[in-house]
Amino acid sequence: MKIFAKIFLIISIAVLAAWQIPWLIGYFDTKTDRTPFTLYSCVTGDFAILKHDGDDFTYTDRKGNIYTERQFDSILPLFYARQLFSEGRFPDTLDSKPIVFKEALEKSFFFTSRPSDINRSVPGIYFLLESESGRVDLEMPSDAFRINGRGIEFIDMETNSTDTAKSRIFTQAMSECGFVFPAKCVSGNPTPKKEYDEGYILADSEGSLFHLKMTKGKPYIRKIRLPDAVIAEHAFITEFGDRSMIALFTDSENRFYAVRMPGYKTMEIGMAGKGFDPCRESILVVGNMLDWTIRINSDDSVRYCAVSAESLTFLAGMEYPVRKSRLHGIRFTSQQDRFVKPRLY
Amino acid sequence: MLKAFISKEWIKTRWYLLAAFITITAFAAYSVHGIFRAVSIRGAGHIWEVMVTRDAVFIDIIQYVPLIAGVLLSIFQFTPEMQRKCLKLTLHLPVPAMRSTYVMIGFGMAALSVCFTAALLTISIPATAILPKELAARMVSTALPWFLAGYCGYTLATWIILEPSWKARTAWTFISVLILRIFFLAPAPAAYGKFLPWLALSVILSASLAWLSVTRFKAGRQD
Amino acid sequence: MENVIECRSLTHYYGKRLIYKGLSFNVPKGRILGLLGKNGTGKTTTINILSGYLEPKSGECRIFGENIRSMNPATRERIGLLIEGHVQYQFMTIKEIERFYSAFYPAWRKEAYYELMGKLKVAPGQRISRMSCGQKSQVALGLILAQNPDLLILDDFSLGLDPGYRRLFADYLREYAKAEGKTVFLTSHIIQDMERLVDDCIIMDYGKILLQCPVSDILGKFRIYSCLAEKMPEKDFDGIYHPSLIKGRLEFGSFLPPEEVKEKLDMAATVYSDLQCSHATLEDAFISMTGKY
Repeated sequence: MKIFAKIFLIISIAVLAAWQIPWLIGYFDTKTDRTPFTLYSCVTGDFAILKHDGDDFTYTDRKGNIYTERQFDSILPLFYARQLFSEGRFPDTLDSKPIVFKEALEKSFFFTSRPSDINRSVPGIYFLLESESGRVDLEMPSDAFRINGRGIEFIDMETNSTDTAKSRIFTQAMSECGFVFPAKCVSGNPTPKKEYDEGYILADSEGSLFHLKMTKGKPYIRKIRLPDAVIAEHAFITEFGDRSMIALFTDSENRFYAVRMPGYKTMEIGMAGKGFDPCRESILVVGNMLDWTIRINSDDSVRYCAVSAESLTFLAGMEYPVRKSRLHGIRFTSQQDRFVKPRLY
Repeated sequence: MLKAFISKEWIKTRWYLLAAFITITAFAAYSVHGIFRAVSIRGAGHIWEVMVTRDAVFIDIIQYVPLIAGVLLSIFQFTPEMQRKCLKLTLHLPVPAMRSTYVMIGFGMAALSVCFTAALLTISIPATAILPKELAARMVSTALPWFLAGYCGYTLATWIILEPSWKARTAWTFISVLILRIFFLAPAPAAYGKFLPWLALSVILSASLAWLSVTRFKAGRQD
Repeated sequence: MENVIECRSLTHYYGKRLIYKGLSFNVPKGRILGLLGKNGTGKTTTINILSGYLEPKSGECRIFGENIRSMNPATRERIGLLIEGHVQYQFMTIKEIERFYSAFYPAWRKEAYYELMGKLKVAPGQRISRMSCGQKSQVALGLILAQNPDLLILDDFSLGLDPGYRRLFADYLREYAKAEGKTVFLTSHIIQDMERLVDDCIIMDYGKILLQCPVSDILGKFRIYSCLAEKMPEKDFDGIYHPSLIKGRLEFGSFLPPEEVKEKLDMAATVYSDLQCSHATLEDAFISMTGKY
């Protein structure tokens, strides 16, 4: 027992040292490795780059051209639309197409996803709002739902009891639409503080994609046609101001897709062969009416690619390497997930 | 023999255990009462929504209570043994010293289990009445590392208290604080998942450290 | 005679400080042995080693033929241990502590304990922590009597007791040990108590045993000598302990008879007169042997 206790103590000390010493070194090592703010410019047809070192800002591009702050605003007219509009510098045309300020704002969007949003314990309880209540404001429902192997179950929140009739109707509708229970992925944005409600994008157990919402108390379920051999893995409902897109999703090969409306048209986003793994990489999409800049942060690089907003075809790409930490040790938490467990790095 | 040991441990800790039982259960009841109060004011839907969308579990108030309960139990149970080296009397009894040590620790673990079970039931029984099983389970699984920390605090405090040398006690305290931090790292509810059984196993194994202190005591280690 | 305690070549250091080296002694069955020594000579160290709460750097200590470090727990049933200051579980009452110990000793003598407790003026529900030192010592003694061990190890039994109670305790213990044939190993910092109680004594000096012999030998043979002298003897000579010259009188102790002392003084070319001698108490002998400082 004494030997066992000694071994246990030595292992504990080793684990604690491997956890705390690299953490302490990292804590006092204030050198940060920031990648510059980068955005595709529809004016220059290249990435515009904003570097900053302390209080010094440098506005530049990949060719090394240096811009003033005003020039930088001008080469990103849709990103700085409000600034340009307030200064009366918002252009009338871009790429020889006429543009309207209001439309530019409406069609701009941000989309983010981090691995820690996916790699976490989820309660498995969701809220399905009424999408067509006939009123201007959305309201939170009085019930919640869960999806299990048997179907979808609605639970009245006040009584904490199953609404069997509603559950049966929705389960039946989903089954008839080809949904194979349980769900692999459930993505919704259950809040009344939004302009409109599109309910949920669901990936069923076989990787087919569905759109579920409730209209006038009735189930609205549509199967989204996927290209052949595409198995949906992670879906993200969008509900952007511009209703032309309903979802983004990745498949089992980490290809990235958008689902356009009307008609649930699935389009692959051209990222020059480099996919996106939502479980390991974080993503930021800055979209406007002409193009999207997609930034993907992975362990060893920050990748940028720009795609055409209309066709989603590849326009340009660049990559910043990320300096890997030379520190090794054990940590219990990670930016990649929201679990506590030991992991070597 | 077992009965005699239990009665000795009971005499040392009965008032503390009564206070600890009441306090832990009261904390649990208070946190559940908060949920019921919120339900009566804003409806059950609000609670469900906050739990799902904002990762609330409503029992954060009890986070450090089991840890404090475990450490205090060890203090109440083992400080009298170390006062004027009373442990010599216990170890001089005609039973193997290891058996004496672990009967005492077993008593502490069992007493903590009674307190912790009462607290968990105080939380989970009312919670399942107003929440779906997923959310009730989420509350419990969020609280489990805290209760595990209570057991770990107990075993580590016992290790420190039984240690005869102050220098070593200081070192063990530093190590113990770091070990106990591991139980409070959750960035979100129910974050320990599959790590929890391993953590529980480590807590059981950590009880072996007390034997290290007893052997050092028996060898007459001092500063 | 059968030895209950056998210590062989005990050596112990605290850090780099040597307490003693190669210490050996035996305690025969049925004898009461007192360990005497000034503070810091290793009395507590020895008793800690004997009771199994200190591992010596080298050497071994056997009780009832078993090495104390690997003793069968059942053998401890035969050893009664009195910790310095009569420490017992402070949080228990007289009744609770008796009930606790009785579970471990099949030959427990409940009546012996309660007979002694009957003399205490304490409420049955009173905790030991609230008792006076004398009452606590009586509880500790009562528990040892009820345990009825073959060997008693008592660490500084006189600590905290007032003079009357110390004598009562010593007399009671001696009577009990002699009547039941018990072996006792004890220390005390008050030497007068030892004189009434112990059969044999070990006198320790720094790092070694000065003397191990029956107390009767010391009381019968050790003498304190004093004479007028102008200066200390020019050379040391065997058999004379710690001579000291105070205000023209030379004082020392010795086991030697007066004739031999005279001879030794003459041989040491000491100028002296008015040589007087008297029999020593155990305390006198102890001070003489170990020095005042």
